[in-house]
Amino acid sequence: MLKNAFLMLLSLAIAVGGGGASVWYALKIQDGVGAIRIGQWTAFPDIGTPAADPYSKARVAREGVLALGRAEGLSFVAENDAAGDQLKRECVYRIEGGFPTARFWTLYAADQSLGVVETGKSRLAALQSYEVLRQADNSVVISVGHHPMPGNWLLTDGSGRMYFVLTFYDTPIASSTGLSDVSLPRIVKAGCDA
Amino acid sequence: MRSLRAALRRLLHAVLLGLVGAGIVHIVVLLLVPEFSERDAWSRLSMASDLYRMNRLDAEAGGAPVVKSVDPLFYATACRFDLEEGMVRIKAPGNVPFWSVSVYDRSGHNIYSFNDHTATGGKLDAVVLTPAQMIDVRKDLPEDLQGAIFVEAPIDEGIFVIRSFVPDESWKPVVSRFLDQSSCELQDF
Repeated sequence: MLKNAFLMLLSLAIAVGGGGASVWYALKIQDGVGAIRIGQWTAFPDIGTPAADPYSKARVAREGVLALGRAEGLSFVAENDAAGDQLKRECVYRIEGGFPTARFWTLYAADQSLGVVETGKSRLAALQSYEVLRQADNSVVISVGHHPMPGNWLLTDGSGRMYFVLTFYDTPIASSTGLSDVSLPRIVKAGCDA
Repeated sequence: MRSLRAALRRLLHAVLLGLVGAGIVHIVVLLLVPEFSERDAWSRLSMASDLYRMNRLDAEAGGAPVVKSVDPLFYATACRFDLEEGMVRIKAPGNVPFWSVSVYDRSGHNIYSFNDHTATGGKLDAVVLTPAQMIDVRKDLPEDLQGAIFVEAPIDEGIFVIRSFVPDESWKPVVSRFLDQSSCELQDF
């Protein structure tokens, strides 16, 4: 009798504990279903729409996100450089290449929660397309680091993991048909502060 | 020996049952999270202010932002409404480099969005209403609603957000004024 009760309790504990913990874990990891990957950049075009999968819906509810609509724009997040290493705040990177059609785009360095990196200066860790210098072929080269650099410079600060968030506003790529042949800039590590 | 094996088998049975149960609990919890979350955008906004009140989402207005507005080069403001009380009208005066509006339902899903290229002359003047209210409005369109954008949304409670681009430091006061002067009103009809 006692043994039966013990086994029943064990089953219940596994069911409730395992079920709860697996949901918590699934919502915690950044990666998810419905992601579109272009180079090092990842986007979730469906997040925050009624067509999203249950995991995205739960994440939206838990984090209180108000996602960008299709007519507004589309965000891409990068967590690795072209060599596959994690992005670090103490490193110097070069973001280079062409950008897809959009009215404008913004690029910023983010921390784990995808909020902008605090620089402690009046200059934000963010750039936008109206202020960048372009190459002769309309591509853009952006240097990312703690110290001022010639050309386009994205200021970062501190140390630890970093993410780049690139958002295109009022862009045809936000409609899913446009995403197939989009190419995004490469992220190349140029060195690290020891 | 035999009794030990029987006990082990029952233990295994219990563990397997538990795992199947865990699968069921996983699905149930996942589907209930949006239903019972107290951290979703609606709940956060309702703690900050009433219905039909504009609420800045960026830190510029002072204090920590209620709902995280991600892009640092953007200012945003949000307002909650309830279409059961009537249709809601959104207006903002002035010219800014870029604005966009999103309408969200109670659980934070983006159901409609548009930007300044959609509007006549780039003026932000929109009405959110249910399909039933739309039928009433169509019968006799009031004079002052002629230029407005009508957003038909099959919802009752909802949120809308105005986002506006701040290209550089000099635009900050202009964009701030644009959002602070925006209004969110219950429209009589």
